[in-house]
Amino acid sequence: MSEFLTLVVPMWVVFTLAAQGTILSGRTGVFNVTQEGVMALGASVGFVVAYKMGSNLGGLLIAFAVGALVGLVLTVMTTQLRLDQFVVGLALFFAATGAAGLLYREVIGVTMTPPKIDTLTKHEIPLLSDIPVIGEPLFRQDYVFFFVVLLSVGLYWFMQRTGAGLNFRSVGENPKAADSLGINVNLARTWSTIVGSGLVAVAGAYFPLHFTGIYTDGMIAGRGWLVIALAFLGGWRPLYVVAGAAFFAGMDVLGQKAQVIGLGVPHQFIEMLPYVATLLVMVFAFRWARQPAHLGSNYDRESRLAG
Amino acid sequence: MTTAPRLEMTEVVKTFGPVRALDAVSLQVGAREVHGLLGGNGAGKTTLMNVLFGLYRADSGAVRIDGREVTITSPRDAIELGVGMVHQTFLQVDTYTVVENVVLGTTLEGGSHGAGLSAARARIADISERFGLHVDPDAVMEELPVGIRQRVEIIKALYRGASVLILDEPTTNLTPQEVDALFTSLRTMVAEGMSVILITHKIRETLAVCDKMTVMRDGARVQTLDRAETDADHLAAIMVGESHGTYQAPTVTEAVALGTAPQGTVVGDVPETTFEPGVSVRGMTVRNDHDVELISGFDLEVGKGEIVGFAGVAGNGQVELAETLAGVRPLQSGSITIDDLVLSDRATAQWLDAGVAYVPEDRHRDGILPTSGITENLLLGSHRSARVRKSGLIDWRAARQRAQEAIEKFAIRADSPATRAGDLSGGNIQRVILARAFAHRPRLLVLHNPTRGLDIGSTRFVYEQIREVTAAGCSVVVISEDLDEVIAIADRVIALYQGSQAGEWRSDRVDPYEIGRRMTGLGTSVGGAA
Repeated sequence: MSEFLTLVVPMWVVFTLAAQGTILSGRTGVFNVTQEGVMALGASVGFVVAYKMGSNLGGLLIAFAVGALVGLVLTVMTTQLRLDQFVVGLALFFAATGAAGLLYREVIGVTMTPPKIDTLTKHEIPLLSDIPVIGEPLFRQDYVFFFVVLLSVGLYWFMQRTGAGLNFRSVGENPKAADSLGINVNLARTWSTIVGSGLVAVAGAYFPLHFTGIYTDGMIAGRGWLVIALAFLGGWRPLYVVAGAAFFAGMDVLGQKAQVIGLGVPHQFIEMLPYVATLLVMVFAFRWARQPAHLGSNYDRESRLAG
Repeated sequence: MTTAPRLEMTEVVKTFGPVRALDAVSLQVGAREVHGLLGGNGAGKTTLMNVLFGLYRADSGAVRIDGREVTITSPRDAIELGVGMVHQTFLQVDTYTVVENVVLGTTLEGGSHGAGLSAARARIADISERFGLHVDPDAVMEELPVGIRQRVEIIKALYRGASVLILDEPTTNLTPQEVDALFTSLRTMVAEGMSVILITHKIRETLAVCDKMTVMRDGARVQTLDRAETDADHLAAIMVGESHGTYQAPTVTEAVALGTAPQGTVVGDVPETTFEPGVSVRGMTVRNDHDVELISGFDLEVGKGEIVGFAGVAGNGQVELAETLAGVRPLQSGSITIDDLVLSDRATAQWLDAGVAYVPEDRHRDGILPTSGITENLLLGSHRSARVRKSGLIDWRAARQRAQEAIEKFAIRADSPATRAGDLSGGNIQRVILARAFAHRPRLLVLHNPTRGLDIGSTRFVYEQIREVTAAGCSVVVISEDLDEVIAIADRVIALYQGSQAGEWRSDRVDPYEIGRRMTGLGTSVGGAA
């Protein structure tokens, strides 16, 4: 059990981080669909920087910056030029995926044995890490894990417990009302998308920096798309996302296990479960899992059309 | 200094392109005063208030508050100067609670968010108590009825310290009880020293609550009156306009020949021109978009070849009436039949097959596909007809041919049938919609403001086309805010007020004053039954 949790927790870090980044911009109405590409780009950048600079923290930070840059492009295209969010997002997914592979090949080249970096070191919290079963997986982790825990709590606090969060969320619920009350709609969308996209990239960088130590194309393996499903499953709320991410991570690890040892169930079935769960939640609990009212729609003050 | 009015707007001019929406309008509102702003659609009432609230920038003119000249360039400025506005469409976040909506965009006092909200809750309770605006501060917005949501909008303005409160047509979706409660609250506000500006077109309401009233027409101020020095008839006359003073009913139908009775006589007094029965509406009950029952137990007969005109001020159920008669809006109860064929509860396709054609008021939203060509737009609704089909598919050659013919016949100014409808001017869009309706060989034609924005030539053309279809036995319903138009074209005129028929006249013996009174909610001893 403890061993299983030890495998689940890092995957939980990936899902939580990317999903918090997704709901951050989603709450202001920007529907980000670039995750799969931005995570790959984050993995590539994170690895290359860590390899060249010899600093894993540097890798994470530069990955964040590159992800933020993609977010900036997304937000300029959608808030300033008012292009369709989904179309721009898909284009950026392709561009980021391509850039990830290109960067690696330009800097590292094609090698027989891929270069390897040291993965992030784990830190132990005294006493707590001695708790049976959960102590080892929860309190002997690298700093990204502790950052994600703080980030999730912080986001919850900001969104649900502060006046700034109230204003922030209103942008995604009714931008016209927010605008009429002096809230800067485009500013909120811009910074939330920049920061959100940066977090998604860091989630991608976690793959080479925590799991493998190497970068390979396709290592995100569809988890970026799952993150979008997770955002819906979590009802675009930070704490529900934390719980949903645990479920997604559990299914992910089970799927991998099933491939190796064989659980008597086809691994494809287990890999399907997160999607099925999301579907069921969308169908039966749509009220709790409802998304921001203006998710995915651009705001134009001058427009007289309904909305 | 002590005599400076709370609010003074002088010589405000606002133009939209070539249109002069406000023509040097001046307005004075004192403290402790409910000031009514009256006028029909397009009179400029809302435009003037949007200037005051910073949504529009005036081309020239000045605004003074408490004698001090101010510049208002955004709602934010207006709010800081103590001007609050309750719009017709509420700007609220549906998923937030009442408190959250009220405090949105403000800085909360108190150490923490929770403490700030508690303080806000207390202030809201205080405002509710003082002005009789009772709401549950923790209720979620989307679960509240329209009347309460409006209270929240008022509280929002008061919470921000408004001393001048503007309400744009606040009673449109309210029940009579809610209207009474609202007016009581407004009186309390002015008693405490506030000023209230009430945009309305309902004379009775104006007289019930206002101390002063300014009547506007065509972007200009007609007159400002004291409540004490006016009455309903006087106001109605000013609103309808002096041009009706020596009104001559136009000779539209042969019924004119019968006219020996004095003006204002009811239809029943003299034998009516008889039409064969055509369209019959029985006990029709309809809800508006806010689920409020707006039209109830509505009966109407329109004979074959008869034109029935509905006169009324916008917002009295015109849209709902037009949409229901055209089969676009469902009936809650009652029936609509054409030649004994019951259409209510049937699919739209069957309405179309039965020959119902509709010319909606909002051309751009309800009338056309803006990014499609004229050919496609003319095809809509008759795309299933054999005339444009060949071996199960649309015969585009025939469709283009029809479009070309329509362009010539209706003098639509367009390069080709492929021109996108959204690129046409308003008048030409209307011609496309009319061409589609008339090509439909209608048995029931529903027209809502059919000539708004058209020039005289086009208007005459539309009237000729309408007479042409009536000659072929089509029943026509014309719903218009243009009283002259209704009188000019209809065989029968019905005044519409709050979804009910407030009077009926034969068009050759109408009294425009009488219609004006009835459509603004005033009863009378003369004329048809309401």
